Amino acid sequence: MNKFLNLLYKEIKELVTLQLLISLLFTIFLFYFIGQMAKTEMKKAMRTQKIAVLNLDDSPFSEQLIGNLKTANFEPQMVKERDKQRAIDETKATDANLLLVIPQGFGQSLETQEIKEIETYSYLRTFSLVGSRSSVIINAVIKAINEYLSNDYLKKKIPDLSPEKIKNPIKSKDFVIVKDRMAEGKAEAVAGFVSSQSLFVPIILMMMIIYASQMVISAIAMEKQNKTLETLLTVPISRTSIVTAKMFASGIVGLISAVIYMFGFRYYMSGFMGDISQAAAASGVTGVIQKLGLALDTKGFIILGISLFIAILVALALATILGVLAEDYRSAQSLLLPLMFLVMIPYFLSMFADPKTLSLPAKILLYAIPFSHPFLTTQNLFLENYGAIVYGILYMIAVFIVLIIVAARIFSTDKVLTMKLKFRKKKVQF
Amino acid sequence: MDNVLKVAGLRKFYGGLEALKGIDFEVGRGEIFALIGPNGAGKTTALRIVATLLSPSDGKVTFLGYDLKKQPEKFREKISYLPEEAGAYKNLKGTDYLKFMAKFYAKSDKELGEFIKRAQDIADLGTRLNEKAGTYSKGMTRKLLLARALMTRPDLAILDEPTSGLDVINALEVREIVKRFAKEGISVLLSSHNMLEIEFLSDRVGLIDKGRILDTGTPEVLKEKYKARNLEEVFRSALQ
Repeated sequence: MNKFLNLLYKEIKELVTLQLLISLLFTIFLFYFIGQMAKTEMKKAMRTQKIAVLNLDDSPFSEQLIGNLKTANFEPQMVKERDKQRAIDETKATDANLLLVIPQGFGQSLETQEIKEIETYSYLRTFSLVGSRSSVIINAVIKAINEYLSNDYLKKKIPDLSPEKIKNPIKSKDFVIVKDRMAEGKAEAVAGFVSSQSLFVPIILMMMIIYASQMVISAIAMEKQNKTLETLLTVPISRTSIVTAKMFASGIVGLISAVIYMFGFRYYMSGFMGDISQAAAASGVTGVIQKLGLALDTKGFIILGISLFIAILVALALATILGVLAEDYRSAQSLLLPLMFLVMIPYFLSMFADPKTLSLPAKILLYAIPFSHPFLTTQNLFLENYGAIVYGILYMIAVFIVLIIVAARIFSTDKVLTMKLKFRKKKVQF
Repeated sequence: MDNVLKVAGLRKFYGGLEALKGIDFEVGRGEIFALIGPNGAGKTTALRIVATLLSPSDGKVTFLGYDLKKQPEKFREKISYLPEEAGAYKNLKGTDYLKFMAKFYAKSDKELGEFIKRAQDIADLGTRLNEKAGTYSKGMTRKLLLARALMTRPDLAILDEPTSGLDVINALEVREIVKRFAKEGISVLLSSHNMLEIEFLSDRVGLIDKGRILDTGTPEVLKEKYKARNLEEVFRSALQ
């Protein structure tokens, strides 16, 4: 055991280099910086925005419209010019990003129920979020004004009926059913929340699997490149211990790195999306989600953790075999590609496709890739498909056992030194 | 002299290529036995087999009565191997590297301390041992690795081109160290292209070419047999 710990300690020390630490810190800083930038831009987009208004109508209706803009978080700045082209030029020189032109006869046309167009001119001074925000909000304002005016008209014409009833004679009461659980709510809101909350899960899975694999494949390749493997293989410790120590160390360092990256990534995403749980609480979806059992509880997290852990073991065993094929660190990176594909395929399929609706060959491919199973675990947990989860875990254990036997066999024979995927001409030393 | 290492009818195939064609040799306790021959003769393959890195295709290798095929782990406890193109872990300090390797052999902390002390004496790198091995020159790395190979006082030291990459002074030092350890009872199996070095170091040599041992004997006996002035001439005559 002491010999194993000695080896494990060395492996970790070899993997945790200054370059790795700098790269981790830099990435976190970068994610944090971009996230903060995005957050600031979003705040800028949300705060009171100046808009220029050319009012050619000067009726009480147009005044009312301008008043509504103020309540909708806009700061209307009246343009002195009465000519439209000059008003466009004048606004260009200011910091307003939108010019609203209320045409002459606007109020009168409303009274006669004629459709009258108001014109908006958006100044795209930047292609950031702030640039596109003003036109989105002005559309919302116009929609609100339309609502107000139509309601007002209906009230005048049919005072006995509520405008709401006239415009929406049918109302729906929506329920969502998941397995044998039912809750009142909109399906799109529930689906939207679940997908936004579980967006991180496949990313975490993918990063952890790729990171751990990269570590072990590099560890073996570096032993070869630095010509230390031959010496290590002649010391009195079993070959299985050498393989296991490398896998353990890579697993530990890979997991820690992935977790650190994920923290950075969370900062990054929260910059764009804001706090998902707060948004859900505000929209009232949380209660529905809980009723439907679509939130991961402790048991769910444990099952997901087990699935992920076994997937990482599979990845480490596979990467160990690939590492033996590598001649040096550079070729090791190329050999990581097939493994990355095996992780990317289920990653994208789990994000964008429903496994049940896939064609038979695609379905076979998906379930044959061991890394698919942790990606599907969250969905299966929500839908209580425990059979599929157990099958996935057992399948991954079986694949792991086969791979670890192959890896240990390679390490206990000449193949660890002679088996190579050479990109150059083979050179054997006698 | 009792023979601790016995190699009989050793053959090795790399696919269809026969690198060793049934070689025989023995190494006695405290003896320095050298395999000399040109590139591709099979020296490194023979050393790698005895070091348990490669498995023999045929033949028998025994060391202190242990069979290589059946008990490779017993071999590993008793031997130490210095490959020709070996390196140290670049991220570890010299002392940490020695400690890491010594822990596989030491049975107590006291023994561990003794191994490290001996390695420090052999390496003779002073305070540079407290620096990372990645900063060492080729010569310094070689001395560190030689120290690692000899610090445990193995029953058999397998040294593949031990002075490879060393300057004249360092090479002389290394030869003296190897000789000293052999006198203390460590058996040495080494290979080299440098026939002058072999002549200085070895008690007996085996002339190897194209996977066959052409002749074995002490340098003096071989020189007399082939009426040669040195081992280079011996080798040329043996080839003819």
